Amino acid sequence: MTALGKLIRTTTFKLTLVYLSIFALFAIFLLGYFTWNTQRLINQQITETVDAEISGFAEQFRQGGIRKLVQSVDSHSRRATSSLYLVTTFSGETLGGNVSSLSPGVLDNVGWAETLYRRPDEGESTEGRALVRVVQLPGGFRLLVGRDLEEERRLRAIILEAGRWLIGLVIVLGLAGGIFATRRVLKRVDAMTETTKAIMAGDLSGRLAISGTGDELDRLATHLNTMFDRIELLMRGLKEVSDNIAHDLKTPLTRLQNRCEEALRHTQNEAGYRATLEATIEESEGLIRTFNALLMIARAESGQARDNMVAVDASEIARGVGELYEPLADDKGLELIVEAPAPALVNGNRELISQALANLVDNAIKYARQEPHALNGERAQIKVSANQRGDRIELAVADHGPGIPESDRRRVVERFVRLERSRSEPGSGLGLSLASAVAHLHHGELQLLDNAPGLKATLTLPRAPLALPAESSAPERSPNPVPVTL
Amino acid sequence: MVARPRRLLVIPLGVKSNPAKKLARPMANAYLTGDKEVRPHAPASRAVIAAEARPARVLWPWDPGPPMRLLIIEDDHDAADYLTKAFREVGHVADRAFDGEEGLALALDTPYDVLIVDRMLPKLDGLNLIGQLRAKGVTTPALILSALGQVDDRVKGLRAGSDDYLSKPYAFSELLARVEVLARRRGGRGEDTVYRVGDLELDRLSHRVSRAEAEIVLQPREFRLLEYLMKHAGQVVTRTMLLENVWDYHFDPQTNVIDVHISRLRSKIDKGFARPLLHTVRGAGYMIRDGAR
Repeated sequence: MTALGKLIRTTTFKLTLVYLSIFALFAIFLLGYFTWNTQRLINQQITETVDAEISGFAEQFRQGGIRKLVQSVDSHSRRATSSLYLVTTFSGETLGGNVSSLSPGVLDNVGWAETLYRRPDEGESTEGRALVRVVQLPGGFRLLVGRDLEEERRLRAIILEAGRWLIGLVIVLGLAGGIFATRRVLKRVDAMTETTKAIMAGDLSGRLAISGTGDELDRLATHLNTMFDRIELLMRGLKEVSDNIAHDLKTPLTRLQNRCEEALRHTQNEAGYRATLEATIEESEGLIRTFNALLMIARAESGQARDNMVAVDASEIARGVGELYEPLADDKGLELIVEAPAPALVNGNRELISQALANLVDNAIKYARQEPHALNGERAQIKVSANQRGDRIELAVADHGPGIPESDRRRVVERFVRLERSRSEPGSGLGLSLASAVAHLHHGELQLLDNAPGLKATLTLPRAPLALPAESSAPERSPNPVPVTL
Repeated sequence: MVARPRRLLVIPLGVKSNPAKKLARPMANAYLTGDKEVRPHAPASRAVIAAEARPARVLWPWDPGPPMRLLIIEDDHDAADYLTKAFREVGHVADRAFDGEEGLALALDTPYDVLIVDRMLPKLDGLNLIGQLRAKGVTTPALILSALGQVDDRVKGLRAGSDDYLSKPYAFSELLARVEVLARRRGGRGEDTVYRVGDLELDRLSHRVSRAEAEIVLQPREFRLLEYLMKHAGQVVTRTMLLENVWDYHFDPQTNVIDVHISRLRSKIDKGFARPLLHTVRGAGYMIRDGAR
């Protein structure tokens, strides 16, 4: 597209053209009205003067007959004015006046007429257009009185000339202004396009320039920049995640391959092969579970599951999950108690919130027993609770295990992060990531707090009915928050 | 009544089966034990690992129910071959269709026991296929196999008229257990008010459970667990099926919480009795039946 074509296609330019046409039409209308009105006024003036003169002449005629009339006409004619006078007999013979010739047939009709005329002025004759009135006098005489129209013509010419200039000026100035404004906007839009092209090409650090005038383009640029910030953050997160995934999935895959190769090299009997195959299936099951957890996290983070949210009772969820895990806790010598006194409605997905809470309870059971508490023979406690605090619902799992050091609390929520002492436990390192993703999906958050001793993991969710916030729940990244909020 | 195809020699194993005939399948029975899991060929070290983690899978480690006629609608030929072969090995008859239209025509024509439908099919999508069948009044139980395993996909599948949903990849034992439960549901014991297995009795109306005339007190959830197991007495129910049907959870709880619930239930109904009723089916799940004859 040529530069001109681009310019013509812009919205600003099209708007300029529309305004320009409207103003030009208005100017033409105004001028037309002015011309028409002026002409009317002039004609009216002429008519009145002529009528007055004719009645004057008629008076003369009545008093002194044709002689007196001719005398009067002649004396009028000698004055150098733009008036025309003529007196003729019934046969058309000129008796007096200052007209030497007229358009043919003008004198035959009584009344108003526009005519070309010629008058003999001291040798040279002048020609022009005139508005005349012819009256019939008694005795067949005819009297013509008229006024030259040169003045009117000149006035119209002046107005027309002015009109041409005016319209020309409107168009030239309008177009110039339009092109100027359009080019200014176009330049900024082009700059934006260039920046976004660079960003699309992979340089995520680029940002749109902001002129500082606070106009609509600035506002657009600010919003787009916020969007680019978010995209950059997400992309960086994604890259980190895919690096982690690559590492954490390669490990079991390598183990799997090694085991199969070893079986091929050394195994002699069917039982040996069977054992290897079973171990392989087990390993691949673990991989599938990890994949499912990753997919679930990705899904929760993308916000797709928001469509199917209904009001669910967090207390019900706490009781359900508590009931599911109570025998397991009991088996491990722990006491699991549920505190969910009143219904606490959350707008959400029961399945996902249950799974998030189940992950927290699962963690508590896994780690709480590692440090056997000498509680005078009492069993260590895990408390699952659902409470309403203002417009938030808190689903909490509190244990008296070793807890998580403050410095690690933010890290453990990331995918595949497992602390040193939990390496010996089975698990994928995805449980807290999923819980956090589910919390974000519900516009809430996962907090890891000190239970002194132990860990209190809290899912804070907005109470139903949920007024959806305009901004999506972007993770707040404060430098060193206590408690860690993710 | 649909004539059951009998292409393979199968010994149906129900409450009334002749115990002598069971010797025909000694391998399968070796997996069926009471409290402890016994592995016929596993080395000792593997057994220790298995006790800690999930038990490893073995294909169809239980006696299959009466033979079924199945239709597998799956466009992946390898997967379809594998399923057909596996179902035939346990005594069922499986037909195949490779696209949705062929599958629909077959399902309309033939009285199958269960349809196994892949979700994404050429020509006619799996959900559509089931929708059309249901619209024509065909009530054959249908199970959807899908690579999409998320909660709302499952809900969509069930809403379209399917009876169960299994996401890929799956273990054959899981599929087999679900298919057998689906097939049995027609004309099964779902409507009985009292379930009986051996001398164990469960009254669904009064919520009473007794064994050998002695009343057993169960927690509400234990009651529902036992109710589900007894409803499908003689059939394998997997851990996932229990989690879905008794707890209504469709996620993977990572740790084997179900096993603990089962062992609690077992201690209430089997402890002190010579014949255990609640059996662990190695690598698959659990089964309640009067098997110690």
